[in-house]
Amino acid sequence: MTDTDTGTIGLGVTVTKAGEQGAFGGELLTINFGPHHPSTHGVLRLIVDLDGEQVKRLKPIIGYLHTGIEKQAEALRWQQVVVVTDRHDYLSPPINNLAYALAVEKLLGVDVPPRADALRVIMSELTRIASHLVWLGTSGIELGASTMLMYCFRERDTILDMNEEISGFRMHTSYIRPGGVMADATPRFLEMLDSFCTKMPGNIDEYEALLTMNPIFRSRTIGIGRLPAEDAKVLGATGPMLRGSGVAWDLRKKMPYSGYENYDFEVATSDMCDCYGRYLVRIKEMREAVRILRQALDRLPDGPVNVDDRKVLPPPREELETSMEAVIHHFKLFTEGYSVPAGDAYAAVESGRGENGCYVVSDGTHKPRRVKFRAASFVNLQPLERMALNHMVADMVAIIGTADTVLGDVDR
Amino acid sequence: MIADSLIVERGVSAGDAWITVSPESAHEALAALKGEGYRLLVFLTCVDHLADSSRKWPARYEVVYQLRNMETLEQLRVRAFIDGDPPHIDSVADVFPPADWDERETYDMFGVVFEGHPDLTRILMPDDWVGHPLRRDYPVGGEPVEFSEEHETWQTAPPKA
Repeated sequence: MTDTDTGTIGLGVTVTKAGEQGAFGGELLTINFGPHHPSTHGVLRLIVDLDGEQVKRLKPIIGYLHTGIEKQAEALRWQQVVVVTDRHDYLSPPINNLAYALAVEKLLGVDVPPRADALRVIMSELTRIASHLVWLGTSGIELGASTMLMYCFRERDTILDMNEEISGFRMHTSYIRPGGVMADATPRFLEMLDSFCTKMPGNIDEYEALLTMNPIFRSRTIGIGRLPAEDAKVLGATGPMLRGSGVAWDLRKKMPYSGYENYDFEVATSDMCDCYGRYLVRIKEMREAVRILRQALDRLPDGPVNVDDRKVLPPPREELETSMEAVIHHFKLFTEGYSVPAGDAYAAVESGRGENGCYVVSDGTHKPRRVKFRAASFVNLQPLERMALNHMVADMVAIIGTADTVLGDVDR
Repeated sequence: MIADSLIVERGVSAGDAWITVSPESAHEALAALKGEGYRLLVFLTCVDHLADSSRKWPARYEVVYQLRNMETLEQLRVRAFIDGDPPHIDSVADVFPPADWDERETYDMFGVVFEGHPDLTRILMPDDWVGHPLRRDYPVGGEPVEFSEEHETWQTAPPKA
């Protein structure tokens, strides 16, 4: 008896049993979709059982981008972990930083100053737009609208320029850290942000002009990959996957953090429950993000951007020349790091993909005992079989695309 | 709140409410909590308390379930302490569908066996991997590097005679 007869290859991978009949008189066919298929946004492998061209079973095989981030975090000091948080969901580093920073701040019991909160909101919203732009551009290409990528990456580049201006790094900014942010916004950054907020609504109109009423795009997304609201809730989906099914669940509204309760914005939802609905949600979210950015910029409070706590953050450079105590604090922080009181805390933020959370456990030392990232993509990938069932192979591209999973986030 | 007989201990850590249940009744407790409105399992994971002297732990492995009530926005963390090699606990994938992959990941990383899971296989590491990387006794950098630096030998020009 071969592996194919028993229905297993290797460990736990089910394949079609030899000779299983489909509805059209032929045998079911098992194919590998990926791991190097360009539309899988990273390296995702799907084992798909096909009846003709219809998907009958689907099993995602993940782990190709596993980098052991959680293991690495246990070997790093608390402030160093910020650097690895950048790298799991590599399209939204500041939002990952924020989840980690909020969890550690909960354990430390510190509150960041208002200006730091406002800068965190600004960076989160910029990142949300950048992440949605990458999604929109690549999804456009996959569905035959190759112009989209050019338009989207034009604006994304402006955001990366802003990242560079504020943090010195274009992608993995490590900008938000426990106790505050890395550096204050420069006047040039605020100018760039101002002109971005002015131009962006017009740019979003351009994207919509290309796609929203585009008959090819509509026929490839409307009614494709349906996920009813009840299924989305049961399967734990969050973010645009859930809001695209008509559930107005947004952590920024429901469980506000970093002062999101002070901003006036709407939660984007769509009752269409399909790929097109998720597209509409993301477009609307970009518009709302620009609104939040404008409000944050207009009301940016003055003051420090870091907690005034020498046990957590190093003293300013000038102080080192005059104060022995500052030198001692500086030395301790850069050799041993700070210790976090024993306990555990979970903090969740709304990323472009859904709920990105961070669960940290401290044993009271200068290194975390356990850092667990609750990755939105990891959970949002599970309804894939539900969404793809009975659709054509070509529709899977649209379905995977609008699920918007980042494989670095899935595999961590 | 579920019956007191199921709860071993309760408390608050950094503002997060938690309860401890015995591993045998974990499935029963979680099903009861779901009935009370905690319908979202935010995540499920494990913490290895090997050689942690900061507190006294009932067992080495702590399985953590973070639950949320999406109507009242209450959150609750459920803990269950288990020992053994491999440690065993009942699967909750039948109660909370997202636990399916979370349990596979926890099995992969910690070697916790979830009884009754439909397909308990490795998910992130390769199928033939030996060991469970997130256990505290699994070394960082403990994997042999599979390429050599011998190429430097032949790339260097031979010494002049």
